[in-house]
Amino acid sequence: MTRAALAIGLIAVSAWAVATFPRSILVFLLFQGSLLHAYLAPIPRWLRVALLAAALLVLMPVIGAYNGYYLEVATQVGIFVALALGLNIVVGLAGLLDLGYVAFFAVGAYSWAIFGSPHANLIFGGGFPLAAGWFWAFLVVGLLVAAGAGVLLGLPVLRLRGDYLAIVTLGFGEVIRVLANNLDKPINITNGPKGITPISRPPVPFDVSYAEAFYFLVLAIVGVVILVNRRLEDSHVGRAWEAIREDELAAQAMGVPLVRSKLLAFACGASFAGVMGVVFSAKQVFINPESFTFLESIGVLAMVILGGMGSIPGAVVGATVVTVLNLQVLKGLSLWLNELKNAGVTVFGLSLADLPTQLEPAKYERMIFGMILVLMMIFRPQGIFPVRRRARELAGKS
Amino acid sequence: MTTALFEARGVTKRFGGLTALHQVDFVLDRGIASIIGPNGAGKTTLFNIFTGLYAADEGGVAFQGRPLLGLRPDQITALGVCRTFQNIRLFANMTALENVLVGMHARIGLRVWDVLARAPRFRQTEAALQARAVALLERVGLRGDPNAVARNLPYGDQRRLEIARALAAGPALLLLDEPTAGMTQGEAGELMGLLRALVADLGLALILIEHNMRVVMEVSDRVTVLDHGEKIAEGPPREVQADPRVIEAYLGAAARQRRPRAAR
Amino acid sequence: MDLPLLIGIFPQVLLDGLILGFMYALIALGYTMVYGVLEFINFAHSEIFIVGAFVGVEILLGLKGAGWLESLPWPLVLLLLLVAAMAVSGLLAAAVERVAYRPLRSAPRLIPLISAIGVSFFLQDLIRLVESVWRNAFNLVYPTLDGLNHRFELTETLDVSVKSLVVIVAALAMLWVLHMLVNRTKIGTAVRAVAEDQAAASLVGIDVNRIISLTFLIGGAMGGAAGVLFGVQYGLINPYSGFIPGLKAFTAAVLGGIGNIPGAMVGGIVLGLLEAFAASYLGLLTGGAFGAEYKDIFAFSVLILILVFRPKGLLGEIVRERA
Repeated sequence: MTRAALAIGLIAVSAWAVATFPRSILVFLLFQGSLLHAYLAPIPRWLRVALLAAALLVLMPVIGAYNGYYLEVATQVGIFVALALGLNIVVGLAGLLDLGYVAFFAVGAYSWAIFGSPHANLIFGGGFPLAAGWFWAFLVVGLLVAAGAGVLLGLPVLRLRGDYLAIVTLGFGEVIRVLANNLDKPINITNGPKGITPISRPPVPFDVSYAEAFYFLVLAIVGVVILVNRRLEDSHVGRAWEAIREDELAAQAMGVPLVRSKLLAFACGASFAGVMGVVFSAKQVFINPESFTFLESIGVLAMVILGGMGSIPGAVVGATVVTVLNLQVLKGLSLWLNELKNAGVTVFGLSLADLPTQLEPAKYERMIFGMILVLMMIFRPQGIFPVRRRARELAGKS
Repeated sequence: MTTALFEARGVTKRFGGLTALHQVDFVLDRGIASIIGPNGAGKTTLFNIFTGLYAADEGGVAFQGRPLLGLRPDQITALGVCRTFQNIRLFANMTALENVLVGMHARIGLRVWDVLARAPRFRQTEAALQARAVALLERVGLRGDPNAVARNLPYGDQRRLEIARALAAGPALLLLDEPTAGMTQGEAGELMGLLRALVADLGLALILIEHNMRVVMEVSDRVTVLDHGEKIAEGPPREVQADPRVIEAYLGAAARQRRPRAAR
Repeated sequence: MDLPLLIGIFPQVLLDGLILGFMYALIALGYTMVYGVLEFINFAHSEIFIVGAFVGVEILLGLKGAGWLESLPWPLVLLLLLVAAMAVSGLLAAAVERVAYRPLRSAPRLIPLISAIGVSFFLQDLIRLVESVWRNAFNLVYPTLDGLNHRFELTETLDVSVKSLVVIVAALAMLWVLHMLVNRTKIGTAVRAVAEDQAAASLVGIDVNRIISLTFLIGGAMGGAAGVLFGVQYGLINPYSGFIPGLKAFTAAVLGGIGNIPGAMVGGIVLGLLEAFAASYLGLLTGGAFGAEYKDIFAFSVLILILVFRPKGLLGEIVRERA
């Protein structure tokens, strides 16, 4: 009872605090922490679901009305949660280290960017952009194209040993990025480094703002992705993936077709990224190859590793922590440092205004990702939310 | 003439310049056959060829009259030939029950769509699989908790679990690579009882690789002796035991134990 | 198509390709030695390499600041740079192994690989942090050594600079030293023994940990030397500029057969030549539709194709599959 009250109280207080101090990063982190607490607290299941639903469906948009930036952060977190869940299937369940995962995100993003903007006129002559309603169809197109790319990449490379596979997928990711950067000639497909803009947004019902619409869209997709993940994981498909991860040779000897199972893992992971790519391009209105670098692939990998390979709640929490670190903590530190510099604060006799201008905490994403990867591997390879083996109800046994 | 359940003809396998197996014939119709021989005689290599992990350089293998040449291990398992491994190869971080469920993979007719939609068909199938898995674990006499992670099971249970996992694939022929290795004589005796029961109840054919001679003599209907990749004797256990070439192979190997062995 | 032009630039492209190839070969040694001993892709080697370049530029800038750069003979300066960079990169590589790889040696093989990727990223930003605090800079330019920039005009379309010759000579010398070290010394024998079978090596009294540290030290030192030569040859470096050459050097190592030391050299030169020719001729041959910017795709495609179709590389491998 007290735990339930605590969970409700924490969410209520932190939501109130966010509304009262709309510029404080700390209170927004507190709000996120209260959600995690509600998820973990020993409270009845219905209460947990109700609390999380209320927080995500009602409180978050209200907070967004006070400070739009938080809604943007939440949407970004959602996008990365979906990516992390997709990569979690490939790396966490099937044990295939994919270092070029963001390529599938790019494939989805470019598929809508090209046809949902006037850019396609350069290729096909005229008639573009497609009507905004086509966006919904392209969610499926993005899914299929990315899954197809996953299968195409997977077919030749999935026979390779784990570490070679990692390097080949890294090479594939780089090839996709360089192509995106250079396919502005002989036929202008991607418009090169300049990127594509303006990309159409989907039609929005009622008088919801675009920010809110995208928030709900991303939330809905994340919901579907979690559902799909859980169902796959808890079936013969998921068991086959885990068996491959544990011992490929034994899995095959027990009747698991390796190539087909691995291809399915690749295609599933890729399809989530493809769908989110479509959403991302519409949300951003503008995309260029900068959003699809190796750094992004490693970022998503760091989310999966931090949360715990193979663990769905792990992927969600990992994605949230890493995205918030990047978007809020690092950027927040940068802003704070700049404010201190401008205010001419001195620490231990050293004037902060003399600090080198190149020193910008916001740019140190790689250090964060790197530390996450190394420290987790050495001290906690199972992640902060390790997979909990499901204990099954055993018929006829107490 | 009817085709034998399992038939291997002229199996030859070379690794680089080494001939691991030379023109080995092996036929089994029912019951329990054991393959024995000194270390490095090529016994496990033969298993690996039977189950499709290696491709034979010469010769062929057929199961129920169907050639296995060129089939992948998972396809061979689906046809009804399954195995265990000398150094236990369980899915260490999965539960005992899940290990057995993986063994059923080839027999599950569900499509990805059924899984995603959670159709009634899916629920029924999963429930049935689980019930069968529990029954299999009981059958092999797993003492520990079926929901325990495989790597935490005691050694004897791990061996039993591997057999249950292989049985889950519904094989007509089961290949066991040193099933009693590391077991006490009592445990080994218990396991032999289980194997005999499997043959009697399920009509299963078994091939054992075994070092424990007491076990071999007790359960085998027929014994095949390999030495340096060649079949040097075959027949009922008593006859083989008395074969001078077999004695020479074993005693000779014991006498020249320190001799550097090429065929490893 | 301008045939005389295509032929005319040929010798220059060949030379550029060779220089690039020797660079890749030197970096590839670090990958291939570690892989030969541990079957482990030391992903952080690209940063070990670029640290060498930074050590070089710091010393040069230091000398320049002190006004000594002009008064010292350039061979001495170059030697100083090489020795310092080799020491720093070698020790860094050994330290990284000690901290981030050794605790994971018995873990499944993807675990240390992920750790290595983490080290790579961490080092990139560590260099960035140091340089932004120390020099408030991201990109650094190598100060020119006048003697090195002297160019010999061999023909109308071909000239060779002293630094290009230096790169080739230095690379050859180092490859020769390494070859002697591995094949003619007791240490080399121990390294090969550990690569063959760690357990057996330790049984005959070889300190496996020491030999593995040594492998990282030597590979890292080669990478550091490559870093200095890279800086001298191409001039501009930043904390992230190790990544792409590192990836290509890994390609070179795979191309030559990973684990195989002469193979790394052959693979490096083949890749360097391929890349130089692709960069120069792709644009000319396709009428400008595909230009030099595709040279990276070219290298990565080689990587993918080799791994998929001939993972043992051109010269075969000395690596066994672990069951």
